[in-house]
Amino acid sequence: MSDHDIHSAHAHGPITRAGDIPVHGEHDEHDHNSHDHGHGGIGKYLLVFLALCGLTTMSFLTYSSVWPWRDQPHVGWAFMMAVSCTKAMLVVLFFMHVFWEANWKYVLTIPAAMMAIFLALMLVPDVGMRTRMVSQERALRMARTSDVLLMEQAAEAKVLAEAAH
Amino acid sequence: MNASAVSLPHGHDGHSHGHDDGGHHGPVLQYQPGLPLSRGKLIMWLFLSTEIMFFAALLGSYVVLRFGAPVWPKPHHVHLSEPIGAFNTFVLICSSVTIVLALESARANKAGLAKMWMLLTLLLGTLFLGVKGYEYQAKFSHGIYPQAPRSRIYEKPDLYYGSAVRDRLGEPAIIDKLKELDETPADKLTPEQVSARARLQQVRKMVASPEQQAFDLAVVADQVMPLPTEGPGGSHGGSGEGGGHGGHASGLNDIFPWLRLPAVIPGGNMWASTYFLLTGFHAIHVMVGLIVFTILLGYKLGPKDAGKIENAGLYWHFVDLVWIFLFPLLYLF
Repeated sequence: MSDHDIHSAHAHGPITRAGDIPVHGEHDEHDHNSHDHGHGGIGKYLLVFLALCGLTTMSFLTYSSVWPWRDQPHVGWAFMMAVSCTKAMLVVLFFMHVFWEANWKYVLTIPAAMMAIFLALMLVPDVGMRTRMVSQERALRMARTSDVLLMEQAAEAKVLAEAAH
Repeated sequence: MNASAVSLPHGHDGHSHGHDDGGHHGPVLQYQPGLPLSRGKLIMWLFLSTEIMFFAALLGSYVVLRFGAPVWPKPHHVHLSEPIGAFNTFVLICSSVTIVLALESARANKAGLAKMWMLLTLLLGTLFLGVKGYEYQAKFSHGIYPQAPRSRIYEKPDLYYGSAVRDRLGEPAIIDKLKELDETPADKLTPEQVSARARLQQVRKMVASPEQQAFDLAVVADQVMPLPTEGPGGSHGGSGEGGGHGGHASGLNDIFPWLRLPAVIPGGNMWASTYFLLTGFHAIHVMVGLIVFTILLGYKLGPKDAGKIENAGLYWHFVDLVWIFLFPLLYLF
């Protein structure tokens, strides 16, 4: 029950050094395991990398003139979110090794993801709808789409530009 | 699952207890992890799950603010450059790959290679921050700050805006500068500056006149800092306002940087608040990652350090993950 026990145990194995168990204790087995799972192939990482680059280019496409739905922003938004979620899944599954982890991964990730979604939803009534009902005072000072149109009309009018020439 | 946790000291089988060893030893305590992963990794994952909620709150607020707002600036209105954002995305993805390769090299007992990949990750992270700083500078130079008094962004070209422009033009330092500009002979100015000087004189007349209309103030705002028009592949002005100079370089604030007149970006203030909050918190996370990498570079980075690299890598991938969502939400929506 003294230091002696702890040290002798340590000499036989890593059990009393809790923090190091999987790294040290399993080290010999770990190498075998990693080959068994196909986990850690550099080729696989490069494949994921290429996929991520391709997906980034795809979401960037919505910005280019090639994108056919320029006048319907919602199509682009949905597309970009789908692309982002795919990229996020690739990073989490392969770079963060979750694909090869045991079932504990669900214990941590699913509640966190659900709480993240609820958190965002709970903001909608307070924050997201705050401009539905505002005082007249505030409505007068709020920016509106008409202000953007006004600015665009002013740009097209070329009033001062002609005066300058 | 975890075979090594069952193997006992002194070669006893898994069912033996401490008192079998002989009375004076007492019970031998075994460590049995509740989850088949190291403590460090468990803590890192718990931390990351709190981070998921932290960024979910920020991103969620951004989304509900953005879609709840009556008007939200287009990316080019606020001088965001999509290619720069895409480049930064690419940089972060590359750094995610290099940290994974550092981990693999350390596990394969190639410490030198692991160090090289770790250094590359550090450099890529620094490059990301550098590009981010350049982007912040571009916002600051257009008067886009998260808050007054530095922010010069007005929501709409109304009377408040007009009086703010008048106030700025009435500041003693600006009056002196304007006088100096008016007295400069035209041959000492570039043609662009001559034309801008004439436009500035018109603007001064317009804000000083007692019977200004909403449209006049929109014209003033457009002269001070036009809302850049969209064009695929860059914000080269399509509407061609005034004398053939398109884009945002033709604003009076751009031609005479000392003017620093108030500018109009509808929805620009809320945009600035969310943009700087989101990218700022992300940048803080990047900085923390860079500090961790710098510390790790002091280790040997052999198989014994693989756990440390793995945890740092988990954190770094999470930072990459946040940017994967930030990039389309901020630059492309």
